[in-house]
Amino acid sequence: MNRERAPIRVGIDIGGTFTDLQIHDPRQRIIRSYKVATTPEDPSIGLIRGLTEASQRYQFALQDIGYILHGTTIATNAVLERKFPRGALVTTAGFEDVLEIGRHSRREIYSVWPQPASPLIERKLRFGVVERMTARGEPEIPLTEAELSDLVEKLRSADVATVAVCLLNAYLNPDHENRVAERLARDLPSIAVSLSSEVSPEIREYERSNTTVLNALLIPVVRRYLERLEGRLREAGIGGRLLIVQSNGGVCSPETAAREPVRLLLSGPSGGALGALALSREFGAASLVGVDMGGTSFDVSVVHNDRIEVITQGEIDRLPVRVPMIEIRTIGAGGGSIARVDAAKRVTVGPESAGANPGPVCYGRGGVEPTVTDANLVLGRLDAEYFLGGAMLLDLAGAQRAIREKFAQPLDLPLEPAANGIIAITNTSLAAAIRLSLFEKGLDPRDFTILSFGGAGSIHACAVADELGIKRIIFPANASTFSAWGILHSDIAHDFARSRVMPFDEMAQSPLQEIVTSLREQGESQLTEDAIPENDREYRLAVDLRYKGQAFELTIPWSGDRVDAAAIKATRDAFHATHKQRFSYSNPHDIVELVTVRLTAVGRLARESTDEEDVPVSETALRHRRVWLGDAWHELPVWKRDALRPGTRIDGPAIVEEDYTTVLIGPGWEATCGPHRHLIAVKNGGAR
Amino acid sequence: MIMLDPIELEILQNALTAAAAEMDVTMWRTSRSTIVREMLDYSTAIFDAEGFNVAQSARIPQHLNSMGFCLRTVVERFIPLEQWEDGDIIITNDPYCGGQHLPDIAAFRPVFHEGRRVAIVGTLCHHLDVGGMSPGSYSANATEVYQEGLRIPPLKLFKRGVRVEEVWALIGQNVRQPATVLGDLQSQIASLEVGAASIAKLAAKYGADVLTTACRQLLDSSEASMRDVIARMPDGTYEFEDFLDDDGINADRPVRIHAVVTIKGDELTVDLSGSSPEVPGPINATLGSSSSAIHFAVIACADRPIMPNAGCYRPVKIIAPEGLIVNARHPAPVAHRIAPCHVLLNVLFGALAQAVPDRIPAAYYGVSYVCSFQTVAADNSRRVLVEIEVGGCGGHPAGDGASAYSFGMHNNASIPMEMIESEMPLSFTRYGLLPDTGGPGKHRGGLGLVREWRVDAERATFTAQMDRFRYRPYGLQGGKPGAAGRLTLIRDGKEIPLHSKVGNMPLQKGDIIRLETSGGGGYGDPKQRSREAVHRDVEQGYVSLESARSEYAFGNG
Repeated sequence: MNRERAPIRVGIDIGGTFTDLQIHDPRQRIIRSYKVATTPEDPSIGLIRGLTEASQRYQFALQDIGYILHGTTIATNAVLERKFPRGALVTTAGFEDVLEIGRHSRREIYSVWPQPASPLIERKLRFGVVERMTARGEPEIPLTEAELSDLVEKLRSADVATVAVCLLNAYLNPDHENRVAERLARDLPSIAVSLSSEVSPEIREYERSNTTVLNALLIPVVRRYLERLEGRLREAGIGGRLLIVQSNGGVCSPETAAREPVRLLLSGPSGGALGALALSREFGAASLVGVDMGGTSFDVSVVHNDRIEVITQGEIDRLPVRVPMIEIRTIGAGGGSIARVDAAKRVTVGPESAGANPGPVCYGRGGVEPTVTDANLVLGRLDAEYFLGGAMLLDLAGAQRAIREKFAQPLDLPLEPAANGIIAITNTSLAAAIRLSLFEKGLDPRDFTILSFGGAGSIHACAVADELGIKRIIFPANASTFSAWGILHSDIAHDFARSRVMPFDEMAQSPLQEIVTSLREQGESQLTEDAIPENDREYRLAVDLRYKGQAFELTIPWSGDRVDAAAIKATRDAFHATHKQRFSYSNPHDIVELVTVRLTAVGRLARESTDEEDVPVSETALRHRRVWLGDAWHELPVWKRDALRPGTRIDGPAIVEEDYTTVLIGPGWEATCGPHRHLIAVKNGGAR
Repeated sequence: MIMLDPIELEILQNALTAAAAEMDVTMWRTSRSTIVREMLDYSTAIFDAEGFNVAQSARIPQHLNSMGFCLRTVVERFIPLEQWEDGDIIITNDPYCGGQHLPDIAAFRPVFHEGRRVAIVGTLCHHLDVGGMSPGSYSANATEVYQEGLRIPPLKLFKRGVRVEEVWALIGQNVRQPATVLGDLQSQIASLEVGAASIAKLAAKYGADVLTTACRQLLDSSEASMRDVIARMPDGTYEFEDFLDDDGINADRPVRIHAVVTIKGDELTVDLSGSSPEVPGPINATLGSSSSAIHFAVIACADRPIMPNAGCYRPVKIIAPEGLIVNARHPAPVAHRIAPCHVLLNVLFGALAQAVPDRIPAAYYGVSYVCSFQTVAADNSRRVLVEIEVGGCGGHPAGDGASAYSFGMHNNASIPMEMIESEMPLSFTRYGLLPDTGGPGKHRGGLGLVREWRVDAERATFTAQMDRFRYRPYGLQGGKPGAAGRLTLIRDGKEIPLHSKVGNMPLQKGDIIRLETSGGGGYGDPKQRSREAVHRDVEQGYVSLESARSEYAFGNG
């Protein structure tokens, strides 16, 4: 295969409304952004259109593209809509219902009709086989050929496209699962097979089952999408190497994605978080709290000590997904959040949302409930004629009517104070979510800088920062395509894990050595398959540890390069220290237990620095508009973001308008356009 | 008097709720026990200056609405508010001073602003052990509260910010794992500090008057919502009763829980006078426990969301003479007070179903299936496992009940079998749904489950505290009851039925304990169940063909 690198790298993030592109052209040492409408029926159409249009606009040849780094929600959407092929689950006999029983605790404690998430595979398609591995990984009941023949017949008549296999204690010994796979490959070769011992070889049967089942059901979905996408790229003459964004923040080849699609499932916030990490480094490893506010939700991520927390399990639609993912706190607050007054005159904003469809009243698509976006428009914080860069005309009168009739009148308030109330309530919710995200890690908001991106958040950022005592905010260049910018910074990353519960002491050295060697072999062969040169490879080892008797683990990076007694001790010490930092105490004399060993194999992709771009400059605001601030209308200067250049200074209160987002520099804040055209706002007396 | 507009009020409501949530996170983050970390058996709350709760955070219904009862009892009968000073922390765990059972220690701290008390913050935590005759202070056969552990009357653990060392020492001396218990107590204190700091910040930002006004208006607003909800329920008197199998001491004597619910205008009265007298075994409830079940029931069956706070309690009147199982007198034992509370909730729902049949489900399994194993290996090393299982939920007006899902007064997660097998000499031979256990109905009750533990150790002991082996979860509107629960010992291939309460039974290698839990009651006449639904139940194996024929007249043309 020709692996000669063509120069251009493209990051693509496909969202519900827009497909965002960021294009790094090293010959011009510049990063460009481009945006097209998403084509939900087949997202690859929008992707090709975006690339084609961008190549014309920015004058580059499609065959000069070296890398296409692609974030996709194709797997996520399939789960949310439950659009799956027919699949079956094979379990140890007597345990077919583990998938349905789950962990049986509920969220809505006051609900009189609680409804658990329904299992992904119905009961009649869950087949038990007589076999049993012990907790030492020894076969107590052997798996017989007769049992396998029976299974083959059941699956044949069940007529399924894909099968998940999850046997008890298979994380310790995959032998029985492997034999099921071999037999199915021989007798039913058209069925895709996912083994729990490969997809998620970790302890806890329900989480492993559900993760394996998700993988099985997604294989046909993701495979079909990637085949179509590669076909379209070929037809359009687009060169380069396609890589897919995973939930761990790294990318992988389409072959890996098609084999383990469950790893794409929670990749949505990866781009933003990667961007936050990259930006933190540009700013000298600043502690950042990244906030991304869109139409329906508000995502908070934290960059601290030059790293972004990766957690080992996430959740989709109330179902556990055990793959490493970037840690995010999400609350239901967005531009579409609905403001209401109930019979007792109690006021609420969200979490119910008008979403993108019908959306806020001012979108004029049939929305009738007043939303946060409507309130922003009524107060002049948004411009009816300059929304999405003027591409969408907003219905100001409609927004005013909705807020007046459904919110202001029931409260006996004039229009503006009522709309301002919606904003004030929203700001306190956003601030509370940020405070809690930091609080649960034992961190203080005042040590952080807010990084505000996404379409809807920058208009609230200064007020939220005031609420938290935060004195600095970064509004990155191209805030609305920031996720795609983050994707541009990703590397290839593969995660491998193996559970083995045992005391974490010197005696663990030889079993650990064995596990690490085997994980490393897996990692090496993956990176070889990815054609990553030796000196661009990196292996990161970590272990999940706990005090004996605890029911949860902390993931601790391995200390040093070797697996020896000294490294075990150093890692154990790091566990005590981390435990103390996160939970306020440690028990240095208690037994520390190993639960899971993790290895991430990283293949670094080449990256070049960028230069400043020359832009036309205007040192003054272009115009003014009326904005309601606090309790009165004020004439505020309106700046165009495109026209700012490094060094431009803006005193708040002021508006800075971009094509896809609006920034409100609050009273008492002063913003300066910094390097790479990031806008940095500082509260009076704050450090720059 | 100042009045806040609804927007200011919502902002303060959010701030108070956020303060309770920050206290909650602090508690979780700094505590040591699995009870707090995994079972989430703790809660945090903010009270107004008089001790009425305005915001709370809890994951277990039994805790909701319980701290306010405790705090009010403390200030009315033990330590009047004038004696609460800045920096004081007051604790108690005494069921006969407003508490529920001894493992739950409540801690309260007043918050002052410019010399004036503006609020009280509180935490409640289930502790690993508070002494008494069995580990965990959870005996199945105590007959007096004295046997259940250390009783702490309301007293000051801190005075004006200074630790009262004697109290700490006294507690440490009387519990089985002092480091863990005092550690968790310390995290309650840390949580109170966080709460007090948040409230002080609010008082500084908005002023003490605004803060206290907000509390008053929030209580009034929830009271108004609650009255509104009750007023829309039809006036009348609704009666219902149900039984616990026994108290574990007198195995053949059922225990009656009886309620008369009277709805008149916007007020609701619950009269429990017809319930059994208190019993010798540890399944008694103090009024603090029963009122928690009552407030949970009333708030849960509201037809629109209500912000739960002490204002919701005002239109609800409770009549429960002392000396009954629902208002036990000192020194009745109370460790398993959750058992009568489960049945009380079933009874209240049964009564309310007559008033608002459109929202009340048939009975859920109505019991916490508590089972514990202690294994003894050949080298004499011991391991303990405590598990709480669940059963099926009741069918309801809109659909079938959920199978094997936490409901009612508790909320438990199962422990992964692989985790247990990796940690101790026990293994599992079965874990699954139990066909035919859901009560037949137009909307079927959810299924109970079966779980089988096998002893792989040389020896073991087994303890169980369960119920509803005799009195099944009722059906509604023509639906039939769910199946009864069962506990079986399988030894050398022979099945030996066990009682629902088992104290320290010796087990040997190879023994299997099988637990079968109740399904939920059915809702509506089973004959009216759609043929497609019956067909699907049979196809999926939720209902056997035989029972589809007999209960649902399936296939009879």
